[in-house]
Amino acid sequence: MAKIKKKGVSGNAKNFITRTQAVRKLQVSLPDFRRLCIFKGIYPREPRNKKKANKGSTHSTTFYYTKDIQYLLHEPVLQKFRDHKAFAKKLQKALGRGDFSDAKRLETTQKPVVRLEHIVKERYPTFTDALRDLDDALSMIHLFASLPTNENLPPATVANCARLAKEWAHYVIRTGALRKSFLSIKGIYYQAEVGGGQEVLWLVPYAFAQNVPVDVDFRIMHTFVEFYTTLVGFVLFRLYAIEGLVYPPRLDKDTDENAGGLGAFKIESRGVAGLLTAGDEEKRGEEAGKKDVSKQMTTLGAKIASLSNEDPTATAITEPEQEEGTLREDLTIDTFTLAASSSDMLPQPTLPQTTSASATLFSNTTFYLSRETPREPLEFLLRSFGCKRIGWDGVLGAGAYTEDPSDTSVTHQIVDRPPTFPSPAAEDDSAPSASATTTVGRFPGRIYVQPQYVWDCINAGRLLPPGEYAPGALLPPHLSPWVKPGEGYDPIATLPDVEHSEEEEGVEGSDNGMQEDLVSGSESEPIPTPSTTAAPIEDESSEEEDDDYQRELAAEVAGAKPPAPSEQDKKKQKKKSKAKMSRQQREEEDQKEMKKIMMSRRKRKLYEKMLYSNARKEGEVEELKRKRRRLDGGRGKGKKERRGGEEV
Amino acid sequence: MYPEIDPVYDSDDTDVEETNTIGNIPLEFYDECPHIGYDINGKKIMRPAKGAALDALLDSIEVPRGWTGMTDRNTGGDLMLTQEELEMVRRIQMGEVPVDGYDPYAPMVEYFTSKTEVMPLSAAPEPKRRFIPSKHEAKRVMKIVKAIREGRIVPNKPKQEEPQFYDIWADDAPPRPDHIMNIPAPKLPPPTHDESYNPPEEYLPTEVEKKAWEELDPEDRDKDYLPRKHSALRLVPGYDGFVKERFERCLDLYLAPRVRRNKLNIDPESLLPKLPSPQELKPFPTTTATVYRGHEGKVRTISIDSSGVWLATGGDDGTVRIWEILTGREVWKVKLGEDESVNTVKWRPGREAGILAAAAGDDVYLIIPPIFDHETEAASKELLSVGWGYAEVVKGDPLKKEPPAKWSKPSDKLADAGVAAIVTVRVLVKHIAWHRRGDYFATVSPEGQNRAVAIHQLSKHQSQSPFRKSKGIIQRVEFHPFRPVLFVATQRYIRTYDLAKQELAKTLQPGSRWISSFDVHSGGDNLIVGSYDKRLLWHDLDLSTKPYRTLRYHQKAIRSVKYHQGGLPLFCSASDDGTVQVFHGKVFGDLMENALIVPLKVLRGHAVKQALGVLDVEWHPKECWLFSAGADGTARLWN
Repeated sequence: MAKIKKKGVSGNAKNFITRTQAVRKLQVSLPDFRRLCIFKGIYPREPRNKKKANKGSTHSTTFYYTKDIQYLLHEPVLQKFRDHKAFAKKLQKALGRGDFSDAKRLETTQKPVVRLEHIVKERYPTFTDALRDLDDALSMIHLFASLPTNENLPPATVANCARLAKEWAHYVIRTGALRKSFLSIKGIYYQAEVGGGQEVLWLVPYAFAQNVPVDVDFRIMHTFVEFYTTLVGFVLFRLYAIEGLVYPPRLDKDTDENAGGLGAFKIESRGVAGLLTAGDEEKRGEEAGKKDVSKQMTTLGAKIASLSNEDPTATAITEPEQEEGTLREDLTIDTFTLAASSSDMLPQPTLPQTTSASATLFSNTTFYLSRETPREPLEFLLRSFGCKRIGWDGVLGAGAYTEDPSDTSVTHQIVDRPPTFPSPAAEDDSAPSASATTTVGRFPGRIYVQPQYVWDCINAGRLLPPGEYAPGALLPPHLSPWVKPGEGYDPIATLPDVEHSEEEEGVEGSDNGMQEDLVSGSESEPIPTPSTTAAPIEDESSEEEDDDYQRELAAEVAGAKPPAPSEQDKKKQKKKSKAKMSRQQREEEDQKEMKKIMMSRRKRKLYEKMLYSNARKEGEVEELKRKRRRLDGGRGKGKKERRGGEEV
Repeated sequence: MYPEIDPVYDSDDTDVEETNTIGNIPLEFYDECPHIGYDINGKKIMRPAKGAALDALLDSIEVPRGWTGMTDRNTGGDLMLTQEELEMVRRIQMGEVPVDGYDPYAPMVEYFTSKTEVMPLSAAPEPKRRFIPSKHEAKRVMKIVKAIREGRIVPNKPKQEEPQFYDIWADDAPPRPDHIMNIPAPKLPPPTHDESYNPPEEYLPTEVEKKAWEELDPEDRDKDYLPRKHSALRLVPGYDGFVKERFERCLDLYLAPRVRRNKLNIDPESLLPKLPSPQELKPFPTTTATVYRGHEGKVRTISIDSSGVWLATGGDDGTVRIWEILTGREVWKVKLGEDESVNTVKWRPGREAGILAAAAGDDVYLIIPPIFDHETEAASKELLSVGWGYAEVVKGDPLKKEPPAKWSKPSDKLADAGVAAIVTVRVLVKHIAWHRRGDYFATVSPEGQNRAVAIHQLSKHQSQSPFRKSKGIIQRVEFHPFRPVLFVATQRYIRTYDLAKQELAKTLQPGSRWISSFDVHSGGDNLIVGSYDKRLLWHDLDLSTKPYRTLRYHQKAIRSVKYHQGGLPLFCSASDDGTVQVFHGKVFGDLMENALIVPLKVLRGHAVKQALGVLDVEWHPKECWLFSAGADGTARLWN
C-alpha cells in the first residue's frame, strides 16, 4: 500500500498563504505590508485549488506564494520600517516635550532612509529585464511630472519626476531611439527602442490640469512612484554611461526658469571639462541660420575645413553627436538649399529606410512652431528625428533656434489655428506653397502644416506630401501605428464592391438578414425532384436582385428614401439569400456540423468557444465595414478616391 | 474587675495581688496541706483560717454582699463579686459588649490619612557630595574632549553621502532562468485606431452605441473610452480618467492575482477530427426520392418485405397500407381498428410467403395481403392454417397455465380483407420482432409486467411468455441474427438471454435514462441503442458492457435506430427534431480494431407535428435506400 499522505503539509496547502497570515508572520501593519509588496513586486496568486490552499475553507481570500513572504522576512527594507517606527516614537517624544533642538538633531542624524537599489537589482537581475518593465514606470513618471502638489504629493517628488522625464527625453533624442508616436484621446503615446531592441511604450498626458478623483489612493501611487523613480534613475545612469555621458546632467537654473524645457539640461561627456551642450548647439545653429544663404552655398570641403579651424582643440574630444550633427547638416546642405530655392518641395529624396535613417527624417528641415502648438511634444519629436533647427514663438519659452517668425531659413511652419483667409483647402490640395505666397500673413518659401503632419511623417517613416495637412484642411484620419495591417479591420484598404447589395439590404431592410439565412438553412428543404434543378431559379433570382439594386440606387440618387420593403419583397429577399447560399457551401456547413458529432464534449466546447470569439471579432469588423459603406455611400462615389490616394 | 490605673511615671505596683501559681491543678490536691499553693516568689500561700461553725451558721443566715459560694483560687478564701462584676457577667451571658457605654458604631477617626504630606518626614540636611562636581564625569568628559582635540571625534559630521545612482548592472550577471512561479506583469496593449484623436469616421459610435455604453456599468464596459473625433489638435481636451486609469493599473500590478493561462492560437478547424470524406463512403441516401401520402394522422410504423418491393405502413388512422416502393402508389389497405392506431407492422422474413404482422391495440393481426402471386399466397395461407388443428389438441390440458395470448379466426369482413389470424395478447402491443426463420415472433407490451414479452409460434398457434418476473418496463426485444439469443431492452438496461440454455447471458449498461429502441448488427457483435435523452450509443458486445461510443447530436429524443442488414456499412437514427442522421458504421473482422463511425448526412424533410418528428426508419434489404415514417402523415424513401 502506498504511504498515506498527510493533509495540509504539501502542495497547495503549503505553497500558499493568505494575506492575513502573511501580515501576521511579518509582524507589520497592513499599509507597511502593502508598501513592501509594491517595492518587491510581490503579487497575489490564484491557487489551483482554493479549498486546499485555504485549509478547507472556501471563502474568498487573497493568496500569496509562501516563499515570497518567506523571503520578505529577511528584507532590509522591513528592518528600515521598524527603525522608522522607533524613530517616529523618539521624534514624537521630543516634540511632545517641546525639545525642538533635540527633534531637529534626531531628524538630521537618526532618520532611517529607505534605499531601494538592492530591490531594483533583485527584481531585474539584468539590464534587459529592467528595460522590459519600463513602460509603466515612464507613464507614471510623466503623469506625476504634471500633477499639482498637495499634502500627499510633496513638490520634491513632482520635481524629481519632471527631471527624470526630461533626462529620458534627452537620452531618446540623443540616441535617436524614438520609433513611433500616436496622438490619442488620452494623451500622446511614444515608442522607443532602447538597449538593443527593447521596445518601450509610454503615454504622456496632454498639458492640462489633471482631474484627480477622490477615490484614488495617493499613498499607493506614491509608493509606486518611489520605486519607479529609483528604477528609472538607475536605468538612466546605465544608459548615459553606455553613451559616455555624465549622469545626472547639470541643470541650468536660468534656462529652466525661462521655460527652457529640454534645453535646461547640460549634457556632458565623461572626463571632459567644458563641453558643448544642447543650448550651445542651438546657438550655433542660430548663428548659422543668420548667415546669408549665399554663404551656405560654399563648398563642402571648405566648410569642413573651416569647422576644423574654428576649434582645433575640440576635434579630438568633441561630442560624437555634435560632430555627427554638423557633418550630417553639411552633407545634405546643398540639397537643402536647392529645395529651398525651388517652389515645389514635395518630392524630397529620402535616405534608405534603416534605423539610423529614421533618425534623420527631419534633418534638413527647419521648423517654426506657432504659439498655439504644443511645444514640448513637437520639440521632442522633431529633435528625435534629426531636426536641429526648431524655432518658436517667444511665448512658448526660451531656447528657440529663432523667435523671429519671418526667418527665411524656416522651411516648415506648424500652425494649428483656424484659417483667416478664404477657401484654403481648395487651393492647398494642388500647390500649397504657391498659395502661401498669395495669402495674407504668410511667409513665402515655407510649408504650412498642422501638427498631425509630424506624427504621420514619423509613423510613415518618410516625409509625406503636406497638401492634406494644410491649415484649415480636413485632416486625414490619424491611425495607430501599432495595428498591423491584415489584423481585423483595415481602414486604409479599399472595400471590395461585392456584397454591396447585401450590405445595403442589411442596412435598410430588417437587420436580421443573417438570422434569416440561418433559419432557412435549417428549415425543411423543398424536395428536389429529378426534373427540376436549382440553376434556373438562381438565375432568375440574381436578375431580380440586380433590378432591385438598380431601383434602389436610382432612389438614392433622387434623394428619396428607399421604399419600405413590402411583404412580397421580404419573401423575395428570403428566397434570394437561400439561393445565394450555394449548395456546396451548405454541404460544407453540414459536414462540419457532422464532424462535431464525433468530437469529445470538452473539445466541442472549446471549438464552439473559439468559433464564437472568432465570430465576434469578425462581427466587429463587419460592423465597421458596414458603417464605412454607409458613410461612403452618403459621401457619394467621388470621395472614395481619397482613401485610395492615401495608400500611395 | 481591676481598678483603673493611672499610668503615670511613678505609679507603683505595691498593690499587686498575690497570685497562686499552681496553674491547672485542682485545689483539692492541697486539701491535706496547710497551704494552698505558691506565690510568684515561691513562698507558700497559707490557707486562710476558717471560722467556727457558728460563723458558718451566721453566714448561712445572712448572706454577705457579693457572696457567690465559690472559693477564690488565689487566696483560698470566699470569692466575692461586686455588683459591677455581676453586671458584667450578665452582659457576657447575654452576648452583649461587657463594658457599659461602649459604642460599637462610633465614627472612624483617621489616624493615618490618605493625604500625602508636602514636607519630607526627614529633615536631614543635603549631603555635601551632592554639591561637588563628579570626578568620574569629569574624567569621561575629558576623554571626549581629548578625542575631539585629537580629531578622533568630529562633532556634527555630515553623513557619508552615498552616490544616489550608480551602475548596479556593472557585473553583467547572466540572465536568470525563468522560475515557474514567477509571472511577469503583462504589458498594456498598445492603442488601436479608435483611440486616435482623429479616427476614421466608421469608428465613431452611433447614438445607440453611445447610449448603450453609457448605460453599462463602468466595470462591464469592454473599453473605458468612447471614440471621439476632433478636427484639430488644439481642440483635444484633457482626458478625464487619466489618473484613475494609472491608479487602476497600479492596483492591477500589486493586487490582481496573476495566473498563467494558455492561449490556444490555433485554427479551430484543426480541432475537428480527421474523418474520411463522405464522398468516399458513397453510396448512402441523400435526398427524398418518393413520398408516400395517404395516411390520416401520424404514420407510426413502417416495414419493407424481404423481396424489397412492398412497403407496409401503419398509422394513427388504424389502417395498414401497402405501397409500391418506386412509384409511391398505394396498392392495398385494410382498416384494422376503429379507434385504435396501428402501433407496429412487420413483414415475416423469408421470400416463400408474404405474411404481415400488424399490431393494433391488444391484437396482432396476421395478414396475407392479396398482392402476391397465387403460389406465394397459397404458401402463406398454408403456413397460417396449419396451426389451427394443433391448437385444438392442446387446449384440453387443464394443468397448463393459461397462455399469454389467444389465437382466433377473424371475422368474415376482416377475412375478406386478407387477415388470416388474430392473436389477442390482452395488453397493448407496441412492438413485434420476427425470428429469422419466420416461425416465431415476439411481441412487446410495455404495460404487461411479467407478461410484457410473449413469443408466438406460427406453426402451432401457440404463445408463451418466457419470463416469470418483470424486470422493469420492457421497451423492445430483438432476436440475434443467427444465434439463439434474445435481446430484451428495459428502460435502462439491455439483457441478453441465451434461449438454448434458458438463462441470462449478459446485461448491457448503456447509461442512458430511457432507451427508446435498439438494433443488432448483422454480425451479431455490435448494437446501437437510441434513447429518449437524445443519445445514440454504440455497444461492442465483445468489448464491454459499457458503450464504445456515446454520440449526442439530435436536438430531440431519438425514436428509432437501424442498421442496414443487407451488407452495407450504414446505420441511421431518427429523432423527434424531424431529422434522420445517416452514419457510416464499419465493423472490422479484426477483433482488435474498433468500429469506424463517420456521420454522413442529415436527412431533413419530415415536418415536426405536436413535438413529434420521425417515428420509425427502415433500411431496404439490399439497396442503400432508407424509408422513414413521420408524424406529418407521410412516409418517405431516401436514396
